[in-house]
Amino acid sequence: MGVMSAVAPAERYRAISPAEFFYKYREIAGFSNPARALYQAVREFVENALDATDSHGILPNIKIIIEKADENREFYRVTVEDNGIGLPPHVVPEAFGRVLFSSKYILRQTRGMFGLGAKVAILYGQMTTGRPVEVITSQPNLRRIYYFKLRIDINKNEPIIIERGSWRKNRDWHGTIVSMTLEGDWSRAKQRIKDYILRTAVVTPYANIVFMTPDGEIYYYERVIDKLPRPPKEVKPHPYGVDLELMKRIRDSGSFSTVKEMLMKSFQGIGSVTALSLLEIAGISPDLSPKSLNDRQLLELVNAMKNYKRFRAPTSEALSPLGEEVIKAGLKRIYEPEFVEAVTRKPSAYQGHPFIVEVGIAFGGKVPLSNDKYPTLLRYANKIPLLYDEGSDVSTAVVKEDISWDQYLVKLPAPIIVLVHICSTKVPFKGVGKESIADVKEIRNEIKLAIQEVARRLRVYLSKKIKEEEKKKRVVSLAKYVPEIVRALTIILGDGQGGKAKLLEEKLVEIVSLRTGLPKDEVYKVVRSVEIGV
Amino acid sequence: MAISSVDKYARQRSLEILRKKFASIAKRILEGKKPVLIMPKRVLSNTIYDMKKKLLLLGPEMKRRSLLDVNEARKFMQTLLMASIIYEALVNDEYPTIRDLYYRGKHTISYRDISGKMHHENTWDEQRESDAVIRDIEVFLGVLREEMLILSKEKGKVVGNLIIKSGDDVIDLSKMGHGAYAIEPTPDLIEFKDIDAEFVLVVEKDAVFQQLHRYGFWKKYKAILITSAGQPDRATRRFVRRLSEELKLPIYILTDADPYGWYIYSVFKIGSITLSYESERLATPDAKFIGVSMTDIFGEEEAAKNINKLTSIFGKEIKDAISKPRKKAYLSEKERRNYIIKAKKKDVERAVELVGYDVADKLISNPEIKKYIRQKKLGVSGYPWFRTPEWIKEISIFFSKLAKLEIEAMASKGLKFLADTYIPTKIETGDWID
Ligand SMILES: Nc1ncnc2c1ncn2[C@@H]1O[C@H](COP(=O)(O)OP(=O)(O)OP(=O)(O)O)[C@@H](O)[C@H]1O
Ligand SMILES: [Mg+2]
Repeated sequence: MGVMSAVAPAERYRAISPAEFFYKYREIAGFSNPARALYQAVREFVENALDATDSHGILPNIKIIIEKADENREFYRVTVEDNGIGLPPHVVPEAFGRVLFSSKYILRQTRGMFGLGAKVAILYGQMTTGRPVEVITSQPNLRRIYYFKLRIDINKNEPIIIERGSWRKNRDWHGTIVSMTLEGDWSRAKQRIKDYILRTAVVTPYANIVFMTPDGEIYYYERVIDKLPRPPKEVKPHPYGVDLELMKRIRDSGSFSTVKEMLMKSFQGIGSVTALSLLEIAGISPDLSPKSLNDRQLLELVNAMKNYKRFRAPTSEALSPLGEEVIKAGLKRIYEPEFVEAVTRKPSAYQGHPFIVEVGIAFGGKVPLSNDKYPTLLRYANKIPLLYDEGSDVSTAVVKEDISWDQYLVKLPAPIIVLVHICSTKVPFKGVGKESIADVKEIRNEIKLAIQEVARRLRVYLSKKIKEEEKKKRVVSLAKYVPEIVRALTIILGDGQGGKAKLLEEKLVEIVSLRTGLPKDEVYKVVRSVEIGV
Repeated sequence: MAISSVDKYARQRSLEILRKKFASIAKRILEGKKPVLIMPKRVLSNTIYDMKKKLLLLGPEMKRRSLLDVNEARKFMQTLLMASIIYEALVNDEYPTIRDLYYRGKHTISYRDISGKMHHENTWDEQRESDAVIRDIEVFLGVLREEMLILSKEKGKVVGNLIIKSGDDVIDLSKMGHGAYAIEPTPDLIEFKDIDAEFVLVVEKDAVFQQLHRYGFWKKYKAILITSAGQPDRATRRFVRRLSEELKLPIYILTDADPYGWYIYSVFKIGSITLSYESERLATPDAKFIGVSMTDIFGEEEAAKNINKLTSIFGKEIKDAISKPRKKAYLSEKERRNYIIKAKKKDVERAVELVGYDVADKLISNPEIKKYIRQKKLGVSGYPWFRTPEWIKEISIFFSKLAKLEIEAMASKGLKFLADTYIPTKIETGDWID
């Protein structure tokens, strides 16, 4: 064993900005290679556009344009336009130029939640092409339209405004147009992007979506329903979700004069009676000022709240389920199925987070054939389509393991799609990729119940259809013999009555049609198709 | 071709019935009524043993074969198809065999289902199917296929002092050389001209028929000698029936001593289940089973032992079936050892079907067979015409010995023995089952 060197090389310490962090570790946010980056950029801007519209009661008109931006290099300009609420001009630089800046850090179901998406896309564009982002925006109550050209200062995590301007609105426009350039790989990303937009279109039948590709294709998904999902409301946290840190922050906000008031105003489902009994359990006098509480007392309070059994379930007002009508309209718009049904379950909760499961099933029509193990799955979380990691998703487990499809008369492979939407103020994603949902017992059970409910309706439809088909088969099994019978009878009746053949056939068709309830022309079709061999 | 006048008449009559029956079907259709064929049910459950007439007859149950019943539609089509082929054959003065009819009617029907997919279906696949349709038409029309001049393979043969007229030819059945006259498929068209015989002997086995023929048995004993060559066909049965009915000759039937032989006898005497609708014309109620009987092989002593075991089923009267003094066996112990064949499981099953499970269970001592029969045939009740004291006596020996014997064995003992001792003794002493 040697002697340890006394002079170890000195460690160098420094802090980095969030911008620098995500610049370095952009693959965490999905920007790992040019193909993936192009797909991710489209997603981020489309989801921002939808958040700015449907969450605020506006029927979305969304336009997505991807175009080649350089003749020699694989640069693509991505432009996403919406008719949403827009941004106040003074916020624009930070919303698009400061990582971890967001309007969505509240308890309300939106697609966005981190304050990252737009910025990482812009950072990626900046580092691969050097080109700035352009934002045009106006809010409904403003009289001007504002224009910004921005870049992000990576070290400082600050916007750099390169150009700004504004002009008068001469028509009643509001919304946002974001345009940025990045290095991408269209040919490898194309299928994913098209899939993503198609799947988005499935759950937004209330939106007009236009998508123009670098290949000159135009996809247009026209609005088929004027009904929007109920917009989410901001809510206070549920006491089950509380922890010491949250409690400290509430205490330190200094906005309450008594502990009792603090509890009643900061949480949902705590009235004066509940507040008093919680404080009694924690051994804290209700009239104390929150500021006088030490950390130990706060912890007592947190424990009392966590162990309290009589809270109401968390409110679901923050949630924005699609609704049965929207799901059905969406599935119809894309797949023109012969059967479509949907169900929105009642709100439920896991670990203090409210959630709602919705399921739609489409069968037949243009629905593609599934694999032979389980139906084609369309997974959504907070209205965002989940495209990858299907194998590890809780919905996959349910359709594969918890539901026996033949019990619902579905013989796989079949033209069947099962749409599962989970909305929650906190969707339990498996990883940062936001692509699959963890197997949470409460959620799994709700998915199962929802699928069973819709599948039961499917079974009713299919069993009717099978009966109808059996009826048709029955007709075929009778009608196919008519010509032979007519031939035999005319032979026996002799030449003199040969002219009766037509009449006999007509009458037999009539009798068969009358007795089986199938229209005469269907019976005739079979009779006419018959050829008698020799 | 000169068509005999009898043929012509039969043809005319069949045509008329056929035309009339099917015209009424056509009429129903034109009136918009359900197309149905109503005919007697040809199944075991609708077969009745008439105790008084001693015949198997078709019961009163009718079936409605409707085109609108998915399970019957194909049969409906087949019936009409077959009727039209028979009709054409009749009109064209033809004599189709049942195999001809099968081929004439066999073709494919091609059709498209609702989804437009093409399917091909044969009007019938096997001759079994078309044969069944012919039987349906017979019961539907009440006309036998012979009367519709439908032929089948000739199987039965006859020799003896008998002169017949067949078609327009007169044939002397004593002048057939080593051969014999093949009983034609339409025996009703035969005319009996002259006869010099005292009884009819029908042998199951063609080989034994030939031996007796060459031996001159029929000449020596003034017999009409007939063979059915196994299960008798309709022509042979009808021919035998006419000999009995019209010429008043006693009929003796000689079969193997096994369940198949017994059943052949019963088909001659009372009819068969599949053709019960014809029993009235085909069965010969006076036919007698002359042998080879089990008591001829083992002696009556063996039967007496068995009968005691059966009093619980049949009462004490059954003992009267045993004659006193008791008949001795025709075969010695040594001969038995040489000629007897061990019964197969299939034979035992067949015997149980004839006489019933209860009898078999009382008599079979071999534990393996007993168990086997219990598994397969428990509760089988047997045919009433075999549950008579005489037959129970016979079959009881079969169960207790589990042995059978072919007629050839009797001939092996010596053709002379069979022809000059066995058969004449049996007839003279009236040792038969009626
Ligand atoms: N099209 C738009 N219309 C209106 N506001 C927008 C639009 N795009 C972005 N914003 C605002 O900019 C903020 C930052 O957007 P960004 O995509 O970076 O983060 P986010 O959407 O809040 O969260 P996430 O990282 O999950 O996407 C949003 O919170 C929103 O307030
Ligand atoms: Mg976002």
